[in-house]
Amino acid sequence: MVEQTLHSLSQFLPETTLTITFCISILAGLILRNKPKVIPVISFAGILLATVFAVRQMGSSQAVFSGMIVVDPFAVFFKLLVGSTAVIIFLFSIYSQEVQSTLKRLVEYSSLLVAMTLGMFLMAGAVNLLMMVLAIELTSLSSYILAGYTKEAPDSSEASLKYIIYGALSTGLMLYGISILFGLTGATDVYAINRSLAATSVNSVALLIAVLLIIAGFGYKISAVPFHFWTPDVYEGAPITITAFLSVASKAAGFAMLIRFFKISFIDFNLLAAHAGGVWGLLQGFEWNKILAILSVLTMTLGNLVAVWQNNLKRLLAYSSIAHAGYMLMGVVVLNDKGLAAVLVYFMVYLFMNLGAFYVVMLVANKVGSEDIDSYKGLGYRSPFISVAMVVFFISLAGLPPTAGFIGKLFLFAALLDARWVWLAVVGALNSVVSLYYYVRVVRNMFLRDPEGSTEPIRFSFPQMAILLLLLVPTLLFGLFYSPIVELANASVLMFGVR
Amino acid sequence: MVLYNLAFYFFSLITLASASVVVFSKNIVHSAFALLFTFFGVAGLYVLMMADFLAITQILIYIGGIMVLILFGVMLTNRTIDVQIRTGSIQTFPAMLIVAALAGTLVGIFWSTDWKISPTAIGFEKTAPEIGKMLLTNYLLPFEIASIVLLVALIGAAMIARREKKA
Repeated sequence: MVEQTLHSLSQFLPETTLTITFCISILAGLILRNKPKVIPVISFAGILLATVFAVRQMGSSQAVFSGMIVVDPFAVFFKLLVGSTAVIIFLFSIYSQEVQSTLKRLVEYSSLLVAMTLGMFLMAGAVNLLMMVLAIELTSLSSYILAGYTKEAPDSSEASLKYIIYGALSTGLMLYGISILFGLTGATDVYAINRSLAATSVNSVALLIAVLLIIAGFGYKISAVPFHFWTPDVYEGAPITITAFLSVASKAAGFAMLIRFFKISFIDFNLLAAHAGGVWGLLQGFEWNKILAILSVLTMTLGNLVAVWQNNLKRLLAYSSIAHAGYMLMGVVVLNDKGLAAVLVYFMVYLFMNLGAFYVVMLVANKVGSEDIDSYKGLGYRSPFISVAMVVFFISLAGLPPTAGFIGKLFLFAALLDARWVWLAVVGALNSVVSLYYYVRVVRNMFLRDPEGSTEPIRFSFPQMAILLLLLVPTLLFGLFYSPIVELANASVLMFGVR
Repeated sequence: MVLYNLAFYFFSLITLASASVVVFSKNIVHSAFALLFTFFGVAGLYVLMMADFLAITQILIYIGGIMVLILFGVMLTNRTIDVQIRTGSIQTFPAMLIVAALAGTLVGIFWSTDWKISPTAIGFEKTAPEIGKMLLTNYLLPFEIASIVLLVALIGAAMIARREKKA
């Protein structure tokens, strides 16, 4: 047992690094009370190191800590995604007025970001329902607190409170579902659940209710309709760096768990071995993908239709991120490795374009003091570079060539059509058209409207521009040279214990 | 066996009745006190499930620690004792329909499902050593992560509650 635990620890290096960084950040905050600016540097270095350790785990595939979590290409992929998002968020934080104006709380800010990253790393690898719930709770608790970080602003406290109430409810529903599932299968380990379902048939209504309740928990994390009600308020009220982090990393971790839960718990391993191309047959004849398809249609349609009416850019991006969760769910619906690879490609692309859009909103809000769509009037003349960057991010989010967003959508739709989900592909395409409308509204304000009030050029410093380029270049580059990300995605669909 | 059943119904009744008071009472102090009995009832149910260690922990930590803290919090917070919690019901009819349907389904499945039951009967045995072993072997990781979750919650609570001087 001791050897096993020691071996597990050696495979747990990224998470250990994060834990230690978390503790050091807190202690350093107590010791260096007069130099709060040092703490984010420590946290940043820790997350960077953890991400590097995660890179070194590539290609490994094993279960550690008595089957609580696994280290496999799928988990490593999401760890990298979350880790790089966290690194970029720390860069954003340097220039965020909301964060820099509350120096006293910088220690909590950076240490909780590390804790949230740790929670998401665990979510990526968890294969035991108990571990999944704990990882979700770690992530959620940190994000509730960070959403209310600027507590002087009333909407930030409101955001935090709403987040907690919805979060507590959905965790409760999920735990209830898990308890029913445990009663049916006698296991919390997803592999054991699979074995139990394969061996004996269970009451299908009970299974349906249990899984629907569990979906409520996952749906909340990925902000799928109808579990999305917290999203707009939290995204608007939270500091923009946190909003950006939640919109990418939290969603990614939620998707990682959702996909792993469905794939491993309900996949028929005999069918999988019989079919080439990674088609997933489902146990007990349940067509969970139909439920996910409905969820996907609701999510993207509502997200896009409501986004059309938004005048606050943060709210607009919140609804747009709901819609994107809907697009990505389409890839899960297909239930084969091709669809899964498409989701992974989409996430890589989404990271750059969505963070980019939030970054521009933050920079503009710093200078103009508002996130209202009207304050973007004539921005194209006051600050051409940043406006052009925003246009690129928006075109990418809408999914038009030659940007990376197009590649993401292309692979999703290809996977859908390949699996004969034509109606869903049509709904997805129609939704993209709707989304174009609200993205273009902002672009129109920037370039086709005259500035209101001040017409002076807005200047940004060189490092600020460098961070923008860091996000802008991949958004354009991956639109043209997409084979590296596609190869990485194809290599990352492998999960431990499947085949 | 009759005694066992009687005890089960007794503890269930305590749990459910006091839980309803927690939810429906308009006075927050009443709610807080009723929660005490809910925790106690659950502890009794643990005993009936042969989980002796869990039952003791429930009483020590929830009733002895958390409950007292909640009461302190309620009592020391300004103006909670006389404040009536504003509650209201909207959409009563649709809600009733959904609740009835959901409750019916749940009761139905609890009645009709063949639950997976451990093949060997569990007798009264000491569970504490076994739990201790499990926590440090198979459940080591969740056990350690739980401590980080608690640490995060502590830091967060301190950060939110701390009064800051206006700069």
